[in-house]
Amino acid sequence: MQPDHELPSQGFLRTDVLPLLMSLACVALVTAVLVLLDRTAAANLVPIAYLIPVVIAATQWGIWPATLASIASMAAADFFFFPPIYSFAVEDPQEVIDLLLFLVVALVSSNLASRLRQETETLRRREKDIQNLYEFSRRLAACFTVSDLISATQNYLSRTLGQPVVFFAARTDGHFEPPKAESVPEVVRESVASMIATTEAPARSMIDGPTQNVWLLRPVVSETAVHGLVAVNIGGGSGETVTFRTRRVEAILEEVSLTLQRIDIEKAIEDARLRLQGQLLRDAFQGTLSHELCTPLAAIRGSASVLESMPLIQRDDRAHSLVEAISDEVAELDGFIQNLLNATRVTGGGVDPHLEWADPRDIMNAAIKTRARRLTAHKIETAFAEDLPLVNVDSGLIEESCGQLLENAAKYSPSGSTISVSATSEQGDVILSISDQGVGITSDEQQQLGRKSFRSQRHQTIPGSGLGFWIASVFVGANGGSIRISSPGQGRGTTASITLPGSSISPLNYRP
Amino acid sequence: MNKPANTVLLIEDEAKIRRFLRAGFELQGFSVIEAENAADGLRAATFSAPDLIILDLALPDLHGSEVLERIRSWSNVPIIILSVVSSEDEKVRLLQAGADDYVVKPFGMAELLARSEAALRRYFKSATENPVVVAGPLSVDLVTRTVTLDQQQIRLTRKEYRLLHILATHVGLVVTHDQLLKDIWSGNQRDNIQYLRILVRKLRQKIETDPNHPRLLVTESGVGYRLQARLEDIAAS
Repeated sequence: MQPDHELPSQGFLRTDVLPLLMSLACVALVTAVLVLLDRTAAANLVPIAYLIPVVIAATQWGIWPATLASIASMAAADFFFFPPIYSFAVEDPQEVIDLLLFLVVALVSSNLASRLRQETETLRRREKDIQNLYEFSRRLAACFTVSDLISATQNYLSRTLGQPVVFFAARTDGHFEPPKAESVPEVVRESVASMIATTEAPARSMIDGPTQNVWLLRPVVSETAVHGLVAVNIGGGSGETVTFRTRRVEAILEEVSLTLQRIDIEKAIEDARLRLQGQLLRDAFQGTLSHELCTPLAAIRGSASVLESMPLIQRDDRAHSLVEAISDEVAELDGFIQNLLNATRVTGGGVDPHLEWADPRDIMNAAIKTRARRLTAHKIETAFAEDLPLVNVDSGLIEESCGQLLENAAKYSPSGSTISVSATSEQGDVILSISDQGVGITSDEQQQLGRKSFRSQRHQTIPGSGLGFWIASVFVGANGGSIRISSPGQGRGTTASITLPGSSISPLNYRP
Repeated sequence: MNKPANTVLLIEDEAKIRRFLRAGFELQGFSVIEAENAADGLRAATFSAPDLIILDLALPDLHGSEVLERIRSWSNVPIIILSVVSSEDEKVRLLQAGADDYVVKPFGMAELLARSEAALRRYFKSATENPVVVAGPLSVDLVTRTVTLDQQQIRLTRKEYRLLHILATHVGLVVTHDQLLKDIWSGNQRDNIQYLRILVRKLRQKIETDPNHPRLLVTESGVGYRLQARLEDIAAS
């Protein structure tokens, strides 16, 4: 499709040389034909025959070539066919009138014909415009993302205006991102750089000095957000032309902003739907896990514990060790299910700590106690400072975090090695540390530790979900604390430290 | 230790849980009555006069806490709650509503039996019985207010003794923070759990072999404290 350069007001101004030459050529052709004919026959045909090039010029090339053709025809008729022949002089006054009459008729018909041509052209252009607009709105209807919409708009504007359209995307910092490759005049760039992306960002227009082109700047906004800014070169020309094009661009952008709103609403609905689905899934998951999985698990655990206490089993070593194995496996399974439940709690935004003043020693002891089965292969050494302040935390969450870290320490260090647990106070904070003598952590792994489901390539043979540390850090974070992992290097052990803000009441000074 | 043929009522909808509970209790000489829903459970609690009730929270017809309240409205029978919900708030609510103790699923039979025995002991204890509570190496004479550890008398402050007294009268059972705060400070500082934590720390320094690893006065996180009844219990934990 061709860009439509012309506008109705510009039709008269077009004075290309080629149409003028063509109309002269037409006149020459008619003259040549008439010269070849019999002179008397030709004399009768002259007035009619010369109207042909005039009408052709008027319909094909417009009013100026037609006017030229009229004058040239009159001159040619006088020169070649009115006595004295081969002279511009005219003998008979009647013939002067004939020639003038011809000129008037030629000018009038050329005017009419060229107007007809203009009308046709306008109609054709309108049809094309409507077609374009129709196609544009069809494309808009098919836009489901903002970037689709922007590229459709850019495409449409540059096609209809025949000028490049530049899009400046809104950045999160409230400014607009200048495009990379496209050529935008300095004045436009500067103006955009000074603008702030708000929904009330004003429309601007400016003239580029060297080319005298008018540039329009229009924000692309929906109700809730600014998506960017389009800069359109609408060319130079008269004030009327500029107004006409400006109005057109604005009408298109209006359409665009309506579509943006539609996309906004659709996106909001889609987001809400997804959130709801996620929530339902989580609830179902939690309900199912806590009932359908925990009940059989409780039955197995309970039955095994009853078996364990039966004299019959206690007398038989093999039976006893089998029952123990059942208990161990159930404990492991239970831990895994608890992890999944905790993970769904975290992703569901359900960590709502119930803060209460607690003794850090109690928390650590409880964590060691609940993980006792997994720590049997290791030697646990504890060291608690005497003057430990209390901590205002959700003990359950911190206990679970310590438990996860203890489990990791046991998992990633050899059987028989020592896990050192300590609680110290430092400038009012309480630091709970768990150190192992295990595989350690490389600096590369350190960076990925906080990620959900991260598991190092080195330890794919050790069973685990990669959820433990993630859960621990979320739980500690929810209590206003932080976890730091340090390791002197690969194979040289790891220390995990939880820092929690302590109480200002000193246990040493208080006398109940 | 157990009275012969104590009757335990199991109100639990899951047959597989009832099965092992029955086995576990019968092994310890209990006679067992089962109820698979709240209606049956309430009926059995009224007509069979059990000595102990094990009550599951998730019942098909009525929530366990409702059952607890109804039984408590006319009976002091020991009730131990089974639940899969391990929220501390819920535990505290249940204890305040009159439950003697709770056990979170999955649990081992030994744990439930220890709780049951403690609850029964408290239920059957009369004023004429020996007023001395023994918890491992610790003994507390509730009448003379003397506390001995490995036969050595130890000195406690007034508040420390008050704390130990409440725990000793509930030996083997959990006592909530609220209850302790209310009894020890009787209105003043009731909300200040920090003082309770520090008081516990000081008491532990006097009665525990290693105060950093308490084996007698144990913490039930988010809920309260428990004075362990016997050395076996301590070993089991």
